[in-house]
Amino acid sequence: MKIGVFVCHCGENIGRTVDCPAVSKACASFPGVVYSEDYKYMCSDPGQNLIKQAIREKGLDAVVVGSCSPHMHERTFRKACESAGINPYMVEIANLREHCSWIHNDIPQATKKAIDLMRFAVERVKFNTPLQTIKVPVTKRTLVIGGGISGIQAALDVANAGFEVVLVEKEPSIGGHMSQLSETFPTLDCSQCILTPRMVEVYQHPKIKLLSYSEVENVEGFIGNFKVTIRRKAKSVKEDLCTGCGLCAEKCPIKKKAFSEFDEGLSNRPAIYVPFPQAVPNVPVIDRSVCTYFKTGKCEMCKKVCGREAIDFTQQDTFVTEEIGSIIVATGYKLYSIDKKPETSIYKGYGEYGYGKYKDVINGLQFERIASASGPTSGEMLRPSDKKEPKKIVFIQCVGSRDESKGISYCSKICCMYTAKHAMLYKHKVHDGEAYVFYMDIRAGGKNYDEFVRRAIEEDHVNYIRGRVSKIIEEDGKLIVKGEDTIAGLQVTIEADLVVLATAMVAQPEASKLAQTLGVSYDKYGYFQEVHPKLRPVETATGGIFLAGACHSPRDIPDCVAMASAAAAKSLVLFGADMLEREPIIAKVDESTCNGCMYCQKVCAYNAIEKKEIRDRKGKLIKVVAYVNTGLCQGCGTCNATCPSKSVELTGFKDDQIFAQINAFAEV
Amino acid sequence: MNELKQTCKDVLTEKKARLIIGYSEDKNKRVKPFIARTPEDAEKFVFNHHAVNNLAVYISRFKNNFEGKIGIVVKGCDLKAVTALIQESQVKRDDLYIIGVNCSGVVREIDKEFSKDNSQIKCKYCQTKTPAYFDAIAEESKEFELTVDDQQELMTKIEKMSAEEKLDFWNEQFEKCIKCYACRQVCPMCYCEQCIAEKSEPQWIDSSATARGSFAWNTIRAFHMAGRCIGCHECERACPMDIPLTLLTRKMGMVASSEFGYRHGMSIDEPTLIGSYSTSDKEDFIK
Amino acid sequence: MEDKFEPKIVAFVCNWCTYTGADLAGTSRLKQEANARLIRVPCTGRIDPVFVIKAFESGADGVLISGCHPGDCHYNAGNFHARRRWTMFKNLLEFVGIDSTRLQFSWVSASEGKKWVSVVDGVIDSVRAKGPFTQYKKMNKEIEIPVQTGEGVPAK
Repeated sequence: MKIGVFVCHCGENIGRTVDCPAVSKACASFPGVVYSEDYKYMCSDPGQNLIKQAIREKGLDAVVVGSCSPHMHERTFRKACESAGINPYMVEIANLREHCSWIHNDIPQATKKAIDLMRFAVERVKFNTPLQTIKVPVTKRTLVIGGGISGIQAALDVANAGFEVVLVEKEPSIGGHMSQLSETFPTLDCSQCILTPRMVEVYQHPKIKLLSYSEVENVEGFIGNFKVTIRRKAKSVKEDLCTGCGLCAEKCPIKKKAFSEFDEGLSNRPAIYVPFPQAVPNVPVIDRSVCTYFKTGKCEMCKKVCGREAIDFTQQDTFVTEEIGSIIVATGYKLYSIDKKPETSIYKGYGEYGYGKYKDVINGLQFERIASASGPTSGEMLRPSDKKEPKKIVFIQCVGSRDESKGISYCSKICCMYTAKHAMLYKHKVHDGEAYVFYMDIRAGGKNYDEFVRRAIEEDHVNYIRGRVSKIIEEDGKLIVKGEDTIAGLQVTIEADLVVLATAMVAQPEASKLAQTLGVSYDKYGYFQEVHPKLRPVETATGGIFLAGACHSPRDIPDCVAMASAAAAKSLVLFGADMLEREPIIAKVDESTCNGCMYCQKVCAYNAIEKKEIRDRKGKLIKVVAYVNTGLCQGCGTCNATCPSKSVELTGFKDDQIFAQINAFAEV
Repeated sequence: MNELKQTCKDVLTEKKARLIIGYSEDKNKRVKPFIARTPEDAEKFVFNHHAVNNLAVYISRFKNNFEGKIGIVVKGCDLKAVTALIQESQVKRDDLYIIGVNCSGVVREIDKEFSKDNSQIKCKYCQTKTPAYFDAIAEESKEFELTVDDQQELMTKIEKMSAEEKLDFWNEQFEKCIKCYACRQVCPMCYCEQCIAEKSEPQWIDSSATARGSFAWNTIRAFHMAGRCIGCHECERACPMDIPLTLLTRKMGMVASSEFGYRHGMSIDEPTLIGSYSTSDKEDFIK
Repeated sequence: MEDKFEPKIVAFVCNWCTYTGADLAGTSRLKQEANARLIRVPCTGRIDPVFVIKAFESGADGVLISGCHPGDCHYNAGNFHARRRWTMFKNLLEFVGIDSTRLQFSWVSASEGKKWVSVVDGVIDSVRAKGPFTQYKKMNKEIEIPVQTGEGVPAK
């Protein structure tokens, strides 16, 4: 092998402390080095030309450059060498600046160290092999799981860039929690007014395939090459025939048995229903658990009145399989339920507030429905128990959030803002009403957010009390709220007509199951895990799967939309080329020596290693070995270090390369 | 003993396994591994205090291609090796018909009779006289009086030495090593087709039988046994130079137990020590 | 006049955190002692403890291994696996007689340039105080250590 050595002075940066000509001279005497020179600025054009010229004239096979940190210019030198005709991975960089000249003062010492570092690199490069970037084909279609504001935004961004999107939503309609809100902070925009045009855009977009009332059943494959099986639940209605006239829901005899999920239980809905008037798609579904036909075989009222014969009681769940290149998870959140019987066992209840026991103790989403013009009270402020207008409302923040004893240590981020919003909405509708907010802190860290809260306090005269509420008791139609005002140092008792609890945002209960189906990690709360909290917040450790919205962590609408666009951008980056090019620094198994103990598989953080059976032509099993999926491997080398027989090696950081460096240490 | 023979005969007659690996006695009363393929062969099976071999070492030779079930006679300690091999994908539970035997100790010196002074070190602290699971069990268990675990005393003595004294002690031991690799041959967990000691491009372990080479081999083998050794002590039994190898492997087992609460070979479903991690692993030694 | 003993330290560092942290120390011109030579690996999970034995065989007086803080690993879990391995290996080496001063570990993130300097200087000082690793050098002397500077693999 013919090695060329190039020592950069980097102006004075290296040259002042390291005797570069001496280093170059010392390197010339290393076995294998046929050419060695030093120059002021190797990364400059003339410097690079020196390297290219030497490669051509001396027929070099490999190049070692002594310069600044490889993080700075490894790519520069690799490109230069590639253009001169040698494989870019036959280039090694010795860090003579950040790790030598800049940290030592003594010239002889620094020079000796520089020579040692060059020797390490020269010895290492002798074991480098030419590598090619790995090309994996990409299916340019995105799957978006979840049709709330995050899913809608991500779907629109990808579709508008010209790529097909499959949008899967488990409810009968898209829109998510944002469609339940009356007004949004800090602008007090009507939520549905800004959301429904987007929903319609999704429905009408030629590139978006909307699968509502459906769930992701199974995911196979890897980045650029997923195969996703989706379960389309039976609506009992033929979607292509239904015109959305609504006659079936009007005539359905089930009036009181079922509670509207959209109205958070505050109103009833029939057995055949559309969740809300602006639902997209505007196709009803039959709730088979309350429908008389499915329970007793009698009543076919909806079928009788349907002018299009769109009702089909025989419909079954069907399965579709889609070829997908990238997946965006946008499954959103739920509100922490603090009923006497909490839904999920990981969170403890808040029995002392009487939610579920007293009708007039409600949560944030229920208040949104009451305030909403399309809600159970047509937008009038009427409390659930006796439909009277409440004159005193108490809002309690931090119910569940920031409380280790309830199992939730984090802050839910949006509650301070929406509580201020609720108090303002109330005051705008009931001018002589009194609103009290019990808070621990006010977290209003967004654009115009703090100004919004100040407006609630100064213009709408909402009373903010710093303290916690210990108990709520119902007496004679009033809710006695006992709390504390820590600033005044007094106990406070308020006789409220309505209490609104700002309950914590939690992950969807099926999120962890979906995470396992997808093969992504999740934390103890069920929130999906990002790769790096600072620099890679929308990607998961599983290549090709991205996150958007509240399924990652509590966040408000602007942040959800931004994150959804970011996830869409990541998908588009993937689709930018027909073939996905990846660095070839990945693991490879030598099947002749592998004995199938699968320790590599146990330690791989990316599930990139599978079992592979090697059979002879008659089908008899010869042995079982490990196999690395080149699309998933990220090149950490943990498998290499764990393998007892060293059958799996990390290309680019193989044992012989590292040993060459360690052995060269003997000359130090 | 009749119970074992009968059990094995039945297994072969009823074709519950196509062969059984067990022990038999030759005319000099030496007990060796023996493979029975017919019910007649099963007449030769024995089990007594001289059945020292760990028969699990033969399992990985099949390379997962068992062509039906194979039976194996195991003591409590041997079964841990079987569990470990299942965890490391060398065999599936369904490929085996496990014939457990209740054991009350095996000899150290094979030419002498079994007694409390002539018993393996492992027997002195044995917790698995009855194999943890099996498809059939034979031999009544007998009570056995154990003596003091003198290996534990020796370990404590070594730990009290200074670093220089320790290295001198071990170099003295390792210099005896002739690189015969018998320890590797007899260990059920050493099933690598190409051992790291045989890898030459690059050479991981100096193959010479010198201080440097022996130190490297024995230390690295002990490290490869970290969290994998099940404490059958076959390595020390096989070593022709009487190197106290089990001091190292037992030390690894004790560290695994004290630092991570881990014992290899106890349960098929438990994640392995080196193959898993906990976010709360200790790191007081890391700056 | 006798040369004062200067220890030779090999440092195995992970590319994403410690190597970058050392770069930061360089960019900040934080002066350190010149006894350590760094070997870059993608992740501490790549470091096989046998590298340590090889380092001693090549004449190192001390070895330092450094990587990302737990939870920050660029590859998710490499340093967790490494941590477990190190506990086992460290205990083995101590039992066999290699003093814990000669094998040290640290977590240094990409922003901890100052910490890197104190770690490296600390290791160099402690190994200098311990003295040269004469016992291992004696073991090495039995066969001269061949400096394996071979022809390497032909490129084409």
